[in-house]
Amino acid sequence: MNIVPQLIINSLIAGSIYSLVALGFNLIYGATRFFNLAHGIMAASGGYVVFFGVKTLGWNLYISIILSVFVVGCIGYLLDRFIYKPLRRKKSSNMVMLVASLGVFSTIQALLAILFSTQFHSLRAISPEQTFNLFGGIITQTQIIIILVSLISTISLHLFLSRTRFGKAVKAVSDDEEVSRIVGINTDRIIGATFFIGSSIAALAGILVGLDTGIEPTIGMSLLLKGVVAAIIGGIGNIFGGTLGAFLLGFVENFSVWKISSDWKEAITFTLLVSFLIFRPQGLMNKRK
Amino acid sequence: MIDYFVHISILFSIYAILSLSLNLVVGYAGLVSVAQAAFYGIGAYTTAILTATLGFNFFISVIVGILVAAILGFLAGLVFSKFRGDYYVLATLAFNVIIHSIFINWYDLTHGPLGIPGVLKPNLFGLSFSPNLLFFILSLLFLVAVYGVSRFIAQSSFGRALKAIREDESALKVFGYKTSVFKLSVFVASASLAAVAGSLFASYLTFVDPSTFLLTESIFILSIIILGGLGNLKGSLLGAFILVLLPELLRFVGLPDGIAAQIRQALYGLILIVLMLYRPQGLMGEYKL
Repeated sequence: MNIVPQLIINSLIAGSIYSLVALGFNLIYGATRFFNLAHGIMAASGGYVVFFGVKTLGWNLYISIILSVFVVGCIGYLLDRFIYKPLRRKKSSNMVMLVASLGVFSTIQALLAILFSTQFHSLRAISPEQTFNLFGGIITQTQIIIILVSLISTISLHLFLSRTRFGKAVKAVSDDEEVSRIVGINTDRIIGATFFIGSSIAALAGILVGLDTGIEPTIGMSLLLKGVVAAIIGGIGNIFGGTLGAFLLGFVENFSVWKISSDWKEAITFTLLVSFLIFRPQGLMNKRK
Repeated sequence: MIDYFVHISILFSIYAILSLSLNLVVGYAGLVSVAQAAFYGIGAYTTAILTATLGFNFFISVIVGILVAAILGFLAGLVFSKFRGDYYVLATLAFNVIIHSIFINWYDLTHGPLGIPGVLKPNLFGLSFSPNLLFFILSLLFLVAVYGVSRFIAQSSFGRALKAIREDESALKVFGYKTSVFKLSVFVASASLAAVAGSLFASYLTFVDPSTFLLTESIFILSIIILGGLGNLKGSLLGAFILVLLPELLRFVGLPDGIAAQIRQALYGLILIVLMLYRPQGLMGEYKL
């Protein structure tokens, strides 16, 4: 049996998920220039809001998903409003912001564990799922949705950033926040909006992972790690770089499983990250500083 | 009651050792590392494997643990010393995830998630430290020794050079200092000291499993030293005292053990956020991130 088609499919699915995480991460990094380590836990929260809606309140899956994306966006906005914005006001260093986001990460992860236990939960509604045969590989309906959602999100975000005044303002803020404020851009509102959008996209990633396999509180950190690695490979702050990095990571991980046990996926991710940090720290898409 | 007091004191000693060792890297060299739980785990597993599986004496296992941590710290540090700031955090974060995945996946050596039972208590010339009171005295002696070593490092010319790196690395480079050698040496020293805490921990519980050495544990140790104050060794002792004791108070309120761990995690996450907002240098800190 030829396993190459299956490996390609798996790489595309993984790449799509990582790409969603990297998308929001890069958007926020572009506007604020700090490593928001709480970004991954937004993905986990997205999954858990859907879980709460469907399993506890008995809501419809699609309504729960839409609500979840909105709720997590709001959480992202509130975190910025009450934690990161005051820190920016005090001209805190990036490291202070990073440590604060680490605090946010461990607080929310603990809250999720208290509310929903540390057990593994699946969000899947119907099982077994309908599967399709694609060039000799198998793909489920959910996995097709993952790839489509990722594609649509990336394209819409690109159009949104390149065609609207908001997009131009984001670009101005990432170039120089100080100057943007002087020329009359409400930078806090722009940054708040990037937190809302970025966190919503992260929530989508968490929900999709929950539908495909399942969620547990620790999923936030592993998704964050993949998203950040993808972002760095592609070029930090560069939105398309992140997508490229995500698929590269997806392919490297899945094709190495061909030869090495899948238990070592994390180690492979790390090796890839370190190689990039050493040899090309600015990533694929950014120019050398 | 006395037993309980002794138990808390032993935990305090272990966390104080971890905090002192981490403070050398974060407080003196200004490099935020979240890999301390990895070296803690390396010490713990070395003692577990040497005493439970191979029947060696505890004290020999401490020395071997220090050596193993120093070697791994050296190899990891070779890579890390090229970085600073955000990238340093990221590299150490990934390192912790990888070491943890080795604890889980290298089944032949670590028994994976099942852990290693039957770790031996310390025994010196026929004197067994298995009563908790004696074990406490032993761990206090180790704490004093680690404090002495840390103080020596901090006050030597080496320590002063570290502080200078923290304030302005490029200036020091101009003066001809090989800053990466300094960063590497302090990282190796810190890793070795953390391994001592791991050996004590394994022997005290007579059992190790991977769940102790997660990234969240590294963040906990980081919270201790930030709370106590960066660049101040007494601050680390104070931080360890507060953060080890605080969750115990929660237990008296009558919270079930299962969620006590999660509450602890939420609590130190919140402490990090509040500190970053209102007092980023911690209680007795001499250095702001």
